[in-house]
Amino acid sequence: MARDATRRRVLAIGAVTLPLAAAGCKGLTALGTPPTAEPGVAVADDAITVEARLIAHYAAVLAAVPALAGTLRPLLAQHHDHLARLRDRLIIPPGSRATDPASPGASPPPSPAHSTVPDTAAAALGYLRDAENAAAAAQLAHLAAAPPSLAQLLASISASEATHAMILGGYRRRR
Amino acid sequence: MTARPTPRRSAPGGAGGPAAVAALQAALAAENSAVYGYGVAGAHLAGPRRAAAVRNWVTHQTARDTLTAMLAAREAQPVAAAAAYELPFDVRNAAAAVALAIVLEDRLSAAYLGLVGLSDPALRAFGARAVRAAALRAAAWRGSTLAFPGLDVPAPRRPGPATAGRGTTAPASPPPGSPTPSHPGG
Repeated sequence: MARDATRRRVLAIGAVTLPLAAAGCKGLTALGTPPTAEPGVAVADDAITVEARLIAHYAAVLAAVPALAGTLRPLLAQHHDHLARLRDRLIIPPGSRATDPASPGASPPPSPAHSTVPDTAAAALGYLRDAENAAAAAQLAHLAAAPPSLAQLLASISASEATHAMILGGYRRRR
Repeated sequence: MTARPTPRRSAPGGAGGPAAVAALQAALAAENSAVYGYGVAGAHLAGPRRAAAVRNWVTHQTARDTLTAMLAAREAQPVAAAAAYELPFDVRNAAAAVALAIVLEDRLSAAYLGLVGLSDPALRAFGARAVRAAALRAAAWRGSTLAFPGLDVPAPRRPGPATAGRGTTAPASPPPGSPTPSHPGG
């Protein structure tokens, strides 16, 4: 994850009050040094990257195996919900780099190489199941560093992704 | 779900503080009600779904004992199980039994999320594992997933006939095959 992007982001909580208080004391010209990002900003940024990458995996599979659309759309919709909830945690200035593939002007997340995306339904379901399991683990990697409410959100998203993996595994076994 | 963080005494809000004790008590209360509820649900299920209910009943007994020990290590009196619990709806058939199991697991997800909100890393990790386990059991019963287990918990719904047995994704491990107890709450 790019840390320069992190510096331009602040947690939604407290992001407004601190600069205003500083401005009230010293005037706007005193704000030469950007505020240091809270630890939760980096954690949220990482989580957004994980989620955007997972959405990219789904997009690649849907392009390769369109017949899976009916199966995958509900799960993909929940990932967009995850991404939206995570992005709600941050204030992202207009024009800054964003990892949301739906954001205008955003840099795309690392996409899976075409050669790695399976073109059969069973293999594609296994591919996404593995991606879900990896994402579920990644969302918990920085759990200890997150503020309490963000930690709860990450645990919930991780649990949701674990259930996605289970459901995808069930679909795959029936094919 | 049975892994137990090492008990530690610390300042309020830490591993042994009142916030930790309150969150553990909430999780224990949810486990107590799950043990009771699965006893009710199992009586209305048959075959693989009955076996899954029995397996989950045993799992929740183990979790109850784990939480009880964690509270005792913090010199807290564990909340006692009630003799009976008011169910969110009548449970007289398999569809209602499955719906009850979903409610129980959804509530457990929410309760364990309270542990994730603590400052102690070990309790956070313990809570996150338990949220995941409850979400997996709920999804197995429901046959579908939630975007935010424990955070956005659906209100209990009286089941309709169309939902009976919908969960084509069976719980992953084989059922133990033991009978469903008639007095699960102890």
